Amino acid sequence: MSRYEYDAVVVGGGVSGIMAALTLSDKGFKVALVSKGDPVCCLSTGCIDVMTGSGGPLKGIAGLPADHPYRRAGEETIREALGSFLKIMEKGGLPYTGTVEENRRIITPIGTAKHTCLVPMTMAGAHFDEGEYLHVVSFKGIRDFYPSYITSRMRNSSFSVFDAGVSTTMGIAAKFEDEGFLSRFISWLQGIENPYDRLALPAVLGLSNPVRVMKRISEATGRQVLELPTLPPSIPGLRLFRTLKAALQARGGHLYWGKGVSSVESQGGQIEALTLATTARAARVQGRAFILATGSFVSGGLYAGRDSVKETVFGLPVFHPAERRDWFHTDFFTPGHAIEKAGIEVDDCFRPLGADVQNLFVCGSILARSEVMKNQCGHGLAIATGVAAAQACARGLA
Amino acid sequence: MKFEHCVRCTLCVENCPVFKVNPEFPGPKQAGPDAQRFRLDGERSVDAWVKLCSQCKRCEIACPYGVNVSEIILKAQLKYSSEHMSPFTAHLFANTHYLGKLGSSAAYLTNALSSTSLMRGTLGLMGLSSYLPLPEYRFLTLNRGRRRKGRFRSPRKVVFFHGCYLNYNRPDVGRKIRDLLTYLGCRVVMPRQTCCGLPALGNGDVDIARKFAQVNARELVSWINKGYKILYACTSCGLTLTHDYPETLRIPEGRKIAENTYNVHEFIASGVEDGTLTVEFGPVDRHVAYHIPCHLRALGIGYPAARLFEKIPDLKFHILDEDCCGLSGSYGFKKKNEGTAAALGEIAANAIRAVEPDALVSDCGACKMQLGHFTGLPALDPSEIIIESLRPRAPKKAFMKRRPT
Repeated sequence: MSRYEYDAVVVGGGVSGIMAALTLSDKGFKVALVSKGDPVCCLSTGCIDVMTGSGGPLKGIAGLPADHPYRRAGEETIREALGSFLKIMEKGGLPYTGTVEENRRIITPIGTAKHTCLVPMTMAGAHFDEGEYLHVVSFKGIRDFYPSYITSRMRNSSFSVFDAGVSTTMGIAAKFEDEGFLSRFISWLQGIENPYDRLALPAVLGLSNPVRVMKRISEATGRQVLELPTLPPSIPGLRLFRTLKAALQARGGHLYWGKGVSSVESQGGQIEALTLATTARAARVQGRAFILATGSFVSGGLYAGRDSVKETVFGLPVFHPAERRDWFHTDFFTPGHAIEKAGIEVDDCFRPLGADVQNLFVCGSILARSEVMKNQCGHGLAIATGVAAAQACARGLA
Repeated sequence: MKFEHCVRCTLCVENCPVFKVNPEFPGPKQAGPDAQRFRLDGERSVDAWVKLCSQCKRCEIACPYGVNVSEIILKAQLKYSSEHMSPFTAHLFANTHYLGKLGSSAAYLTNALSSTSLMRGTLGLMGLSSYLPLPEYRFLTLNRGRRRKGRFRSPRKVVFFHGCYLNYNRPDVGRKIRDLLTYLGCRVVMPRQTCCGLPALGNGDVDIARKFAQVNARELVSWINKGYKILYACTSCGLTLTHDYPETLRIPEGRKIAENTYNVHEFIASGVEDGTLTVEFGPVDRHVAYHIPCHLRALGIGYPAARLFEKIPDLKFHILDEDCCGLSGSYGFKKKNEGTAAALGEIAANAIRAVEPDALVSDCGACKMQLGHFTGLPALDPSEIIIESLRPRAPKKAFMKRRPT
């Protein structure tokens, strides 16, 4: 059993956990990241939703109650965190565009508009508002992407279909890695009739370097090329995760991808080590400080039992509606659903309330009162609180 | 039943290399948890595509809900094989151990023959793929050489489970790893051992796998009882010893073996980090791409060789862990998988080329064969990099220069 001690151990490999780990690595701390499986951000659109509302994200955040995690992080940290995210993605070869000052509306695969803030460069042209002049290219047999949804909603749009030989988003994206396939696709595109300036494709332009593929198509056709989000498996979500993860590895962060934490060792208000369940012998990871970023119910950070909601790694006290009947509502997606507020309550340093631990910090959607669905703030909240918790942790470590 | 915990999120699908390039394979979600409910009634298996899974185990590591996706598929593969006639190649590769024995005892003849076009043609007719040269065999295998090395009284007693590839095909690398361990003060023993059993499992022959496992288990446990730790360098052997022995094959001593078995670099890195091994790393002026084998990921122990690389001055290394090399042991040597293996090899090779390294490093023999072929770069074991770092300060005898035998 190793006696090696990390400065910080982050539990949870999603956007929030990786951003926290990156922030600490940049400050020179030795970081380990522990994850149980891949994060749900791989299933997301890859867009960074910061806060819903017409006046821009910051105005929306200012209107949140004072105990919302965003308000604890503060505007300055939110700006800093999103700025550092943009830099990381730029350096990682998957540039994002947008600013925290305003929200944008992008086209969804069903022809409606989605509010978001930062988008991958390949979705920069997906503005919903810039008229409806759009030609959609789909792929034969592709599941869950029906261009007629878009053309039936948008008057000035048309579509055509390419036979890629495969019909899954993963399969097509892998084909775009191949130069021969790309050339064939481009020469087919040049042959079709397309009256519009914008060329929209499902998000399958390669697994790793979509900007290169986008530029190639754009230059060859003289049209603006854009990707539209798809249902899972979602390639832009996968690219987001892989780019963040590679950035952490390049900074010397250690990853322990396995079956999660099986036990926690602590003494006198300090957590000392975690035991990881692995396929073989359990491994032990020791740290001076710990960050919890395991996400909410879907990611497994919270678990709803018969009478109470549990936090699954450290057993922290969880804030939730007291009566079990209040956990339910006829419509799960109703904004303001009471269970959405469930999570870990923290102090201004993102340390959990009501637990006797000094060296544990909490970030991401596991935070109480974050109401991610109502506020449409998933990745934005993850990034901002990840950085904020890491900064608090760094102050504690110094 | 664990397959019922699947919420159909498709994270496993996003991580499946075969699904990415072969439309015939419906992906781990369908091949595993989705199809499992139809297998429960014990009817004869009909889905031949289940055999297209290469058992890289990426799906299982990706699953946040703890579903044992690849194990479900493995069991379905074994069920399918037990109910259908296996092709010739499956019998051949299930017994790679005997193949190695035979091949190495007449190494010159084997190597000369296997490169001739007549032989390749014959093998092609028998169902072998042709894009990759067959691995060469060596006469002076590890188990023909010295079986014990290092001070007898050393407190660090280890058994080196070298597996088939290091034994029959790359004994030169095997000896380097042995020498590295003795240089670090270990007593190294290489007892009688047979194939770990993974090729047999992968080729649908659970009986042979169990037979091999029982032979190894008896031997290994006798050394564990004497205070030895078991070390492996081949990550697939390691995964079989620590995961399949206790779980899939239910070997009674399996749990004990899993508790006492370590990756060789995990063993060294832990020793260096907690100060029980004092090593002074010298500079290595190299820029390498470290391709992480799928089965190292699956072990869940992190990337221990990278922990050592960090300590080597001047060494620049890139960790590449998102692409499967596609060969997956004997999988890519079969004609029906040739397209899949070659497409994946090309994707992984592109990722390596993108970082412009002067060599590639990997723990796995199959990854090295495949990616060395596709990139044309020298393919090294992590231990060879560590030896390069230690050699200048070590006594001359510690790491003898060896030509590949």
